[in-house]
Amino acid sequence: MIQVSRRRFIKNAGGAGIALWLGINVRGNTIIATNIIESGNFTPYILVESGGAITIFNTKPEMGQGTFQSIPAIIAEEFEVSLDQVTIKNTNGEKPFGNRQRAGGSSSIRTNYTDLRKVGASAKEVFIKAASARWQADESDCYAENGKVFHKPTNRTFTYGELVADASKLELPKEPKLKDPKDFRILGKMAKRPDVPLKTNGSAQFGIDVQVPGMLYATVARSPVIGGTLKSFDASETLKIPGVEKVVQVERIMGRYHSVGVAVIAKSYWIALKARKTLKIEWDNKGYENFNSVDYEKHLRELSREEGVLDKTIGSVDSLNLPPEKNVEAFYETPMVAHHTLEPINCVAQVRGDQVEIWTSTQVPSSITGSGENDVHKYIGFMPDNIKLHSTFVGGGLGRRLNVDYVIEAVGIAKNLSQPVKVLWSREDTTELGPYRPMTFSQLKGGFSEDGKLISFQHKVISPSFQEAMNPAYDIKKVDGTMVEGIGEQAYEIPNLKTSYVRADFHVPVAAWRSVTSSTLAFCHECFIDELAYKANKDPMNFRLELLSKPSDLKRVLLKTREFSHWDEPLPKNRGRGMAQWEFFAGLCAQVVEVTVQPDQSIKVDKVFAVIDLGEVVNPDNVKNQVEGAIVMALGAAIKPGITLKDGKCMQHNFYDNPLIRIQEVPEIEVLILAEGGKVKGVGEPGLPAFAPALANAIYAATGDRIRKMPFDLKKV
Amino acid sequence: MISLNVNQKTYQVDVDPNMPLLWVIRDIIGLTGTKYGCGVAQCGACTVHLNGEAVRSCVTKVSRAEGQKIVTIEGLSANNDHPVQRAWQEIDVPQCGYCHSGQIMSAAVLLRENPNPTDQDIDEAMSGNICRCGTYLRIRKAIHIAAEMQKTKSNTGQTKNSVSPVKI
Amino acid sequence: MIVLTLVFSMIALTSSMKYKSDFHMSDTADGVKKDSIESVKAFMKVYEVLMSPRCMNCHPAGDAPLQGDDNHVHTMNVVRGPDGTGLYAAKCSNCHQPTNVPGLHTPPGNPKWQLPPANMKMVFQGKSPRQLALQIMNYNLNGHRNKAQLLEHSKDTLVKVAWNMGEGRTPPPMSYSAFVNVWNEWINKGGYAPKQ
Repeated sequence: MIQVSRRRFIKNAGGAGIALWLGINVRGNTIIATNIIESGNFTPYILVESGGAITIFNTKPEMGQGTFQSIPAIIAEEFEVSLDQVTIKNTNGEKPFGNRQRAGGSSSIRTNYTDLRKVGASAKEVFIKAASARWQADESDCYAENGKVFHKPTNRTFTYGELVADASKLELPKEPKLKDPKDFRILGKMAKRPDVPLKTNGSAQFGIDVQVPGMLYATVARSPVIGGTLKSFDASETLKIPGVEKVVQVERIMGRYHSVGVAVIAKSYWIALKARKTLKIEWDNKGYENFNSVDYEKHLRELSREEGVLDKTIGSVDSLNLPPEKNVEAFYETPMVAHHTLEPINCVAQVRGDQVEIWTSTQVPSSITGSGENDVHKYIGFMPDNIKLHSTFVGGGLGRRLNVDYVIEAVGIAKNLSQPVKVLWSREDTTELGPYRPMTFSQLKGGFSEDGKLISFQHKVISPSFQEAMNPAYDIKKVDGTMVEGIGEQAYEIPNLKTSYVRADFHVPVAAWRSVTSSTLAFCHECFIDELAYKANKDPMNFRLELLSKPSDLKRVLLKTREFSHWDEPLPKNRGRGMAQWEFFAGLCAQVVEVTVQPDQSIKVDKVFAVIDLGEVVNPDNVKNQVEGAIVMALGAAIKPGITLKDGKCMQHNFYDNPLIRIQEVPEIEVLILAEGGKVKGVGEPGLPAFAPALANAIYAATGDRIRKMPFDLKKV
Repeated sequence: MISLNVNQKTYQVDVDPNMPLLWVIRDIIGLTGTKYGCGVAQCGACTVHLNGEAVRSCVTKVSRAEGQKIVTIEGLSANNDHPVQRAWQEIDVPQCGYCHSGQIMSAAVLLRENPNPTDQDIDEAMSGNICRCGTYLRIRKAIHIAAEMQKTKSNTGQTKNSVSPVKI
Repeated sequence: MIVLTLVFSMIALTSSMKYKSDFHMSDTADGVKKDSIESVKAFMKVYEVLMSPRCMNCHPAGDAPLQGDDNHVHTMNVVRGPDGTGLYAAKCSNCHQPTNVPGLHTPPGNPKWQLPPANMKMVFQGKSPRQLALQIMNYNLNGHRNKAQLLEHSKDTLVKVAWNMGEGRTPPPMSYSAFVNVWNEWINKGGYAPKQ
């Protein structure tokens, strides 16, 4: 419990006189609002200056998921200011803002919703207290609105700016009163995002746009065989090229993946890129040149015969002894895919003695400036206090930018220079070097009782281990929770359940891809549930609801989905509809997809109905944007070619051989938001996992063809 | 020395005539609104107007642009108020925003040449522009909104919203 | 029966008269003797070139160009447009530069990159040798080219570019000069169409 002393902190913010920082202080489970900055454990979210300026800080990097608006909105709602009255600033991993400066796992709102409301509410209460003291009035006769405190009986007002000096002498309330949601002006309403105008005239700055005086540009040649590393190089031709400054070795480190490459540093990116082609490099392939995706897939299929490590068990699937005709078994396969954030990977770094300054697009500012075990400081050899970060708008995070390999690389290059250097990965680099979403194969088994009830369900996942790739100390005898996420947690009431995991060796860098392993496991799991439904001769919606006799979020969502999608209305003969749902750490979403079989037997995806369960909603329009976008991304992973390796090399290079969805391929999408109170759930990822199984299930309904492998070609189903 | 007219300003740049226009605009002139996404004319993030046409600057040699009229996203309007930009703001089209300079430059050409585009026209004009965040449904809706806005603007006799193409 | 034969021979007569009036040819006016057998033999070689990807891809049956050695439909939904130069923000010259862009899978180039216009598509794709030969010789279908202009056409830069279309694109099955020889031979010896 922090001591809230009477000593106030006065900061001269930009010469504007007295200023007041307000924020939260987290110790264990106790949230306290304090107006004192103490290093390391205080997150100042609001800055009010006596001149009237109000700044709200967004600690969650903005990568299109809307935190630039939604985080400040929650604070502003309770603080009784409108977003038009404030300046929003993105933080840059600075210590006072704490170690929550990360955006990922759909966690920005769901893990901070109540805390942020408390920040705003306690700030408001302290200003009301300050005003009422000045007026010698009753606090209960005062209220705040639009950045002012009003005294109802006499109509006197003070702006927050006018109250700063007084407020700074007060203690903040420990348990502020939160607004009644029916009084919300901002939350739950359609609201415009203030970063949008910056994105319509080219003024929004992404990492790749950073320009610093004296900046050089670098491109890095890396082993075409993934897992290979530098043996030797000859840069004599390269150094002759006008504009080329230096050629240096640099290491890439990503979890347990280490590889040395050669960086060409030049006066412009294009010169560096051309010069890179003149490098004469000998690579040590370390035997990885024999790796082929096709062989690896065979290996995974063979591994599926192993028991693996137990993840979860309910009842006893092994002692049921069901007759063979009551059993259903299927094997599902999903590929590696690339993130393809449209802004390619980049980082600017400058080393000055024992100081380093970094500019980049990242999802994890506090990992770059932080002092934790797994933070960047150890890899780059700088004290955290000597690391300064500028964290820009992010042109796509998607999980790729949770990794800091490219930051370590840029600093590694910058150490050879006094000038700042922008290291830029081409689209080919970004495709060929990974990391990728690992492939996951699933073996599924279901068993029915005499009277046709589903009483047994098994899901065994066979895949590389994400945790093993990232953490050299990981115990491979334990189950990797990331690789089996959600499969033992679905709400279906099945009396005998077994989920397990078989780990496969894999040397290729892997990373979380939006919705992580749920993006593949939901396909396997929910398509198989449909297979079981058809085996039981039941409508897939009814089959699932019959497994949900008790009240649950899933049951509530499915009932809404049934209504929203007009599930029970018959479709004409050449059309089919399929459904799926997925509940996992990030949230819960159910979807229904409708398809039409074209005269040439290809499949057209007509429409998607998506129901997302949120608990609370901050910006409904933004939620819709996120769910639509997640569906488009899921569609791409379902029907476009994935990543394959041959002779150790990535076979895909750019969008001509690793295509993404384009405008003419997108179906109609309708989104229903459920925000009926209760646990706050995430938005960024939940729209993704349910789509591919819903699509495959729709294709089955329309054609009778069961798809068990992604990607699948809509023209040749 | 190569002379470039960008957003009605003249720049003298000392570069290899074969350098792609994209890198000249970004690294030499310093206008970073035009983006690098793929370098092979696949994604459209690099789209600029060359004499009014939506050209992919990542594959266009700077020599092709010499003496021609180049407009980048920064120069599309004086106040972020081209109908396409206003429509994009009206319904919050972008998510991460990285592709939208290119999307807007492409959409501007569509609306200049076809003030009443159908959905198929929009597909044909915009299929070259990738959006990884998947904002396509909003792009389509915003183009329809921009078409309406464009009609209103020209009815009130205000300034033209874009430059007419000049055929080389 | 007799009536039919009469009708057919009328048609045949008109066709050959059409050739005559289109090309103002006499047997030896330009020093080359007409020879229906040799002409057709030459055309069969021309046909091999015209139906190879580098030529056929820009003479598609549909409204979109084709791409690649496997003649798949050009990605990114590009279409012919009324004058063959594409539409809106997807005009051919938006990506296709005056010269080839270096590297694999980058746009090949020519100053006038385009398809034939919509009102005179000059489709190669799906045509039999006879159909193609008749089409090319037809003034109303071949861009209004007379014999001299047809002969010149092989020197058009957009035709020549087929032999220099950048990395990863297989050139036509004979050299450019060999092609010009058979093209000239076919036309000069009468521009005859094969029987099928």
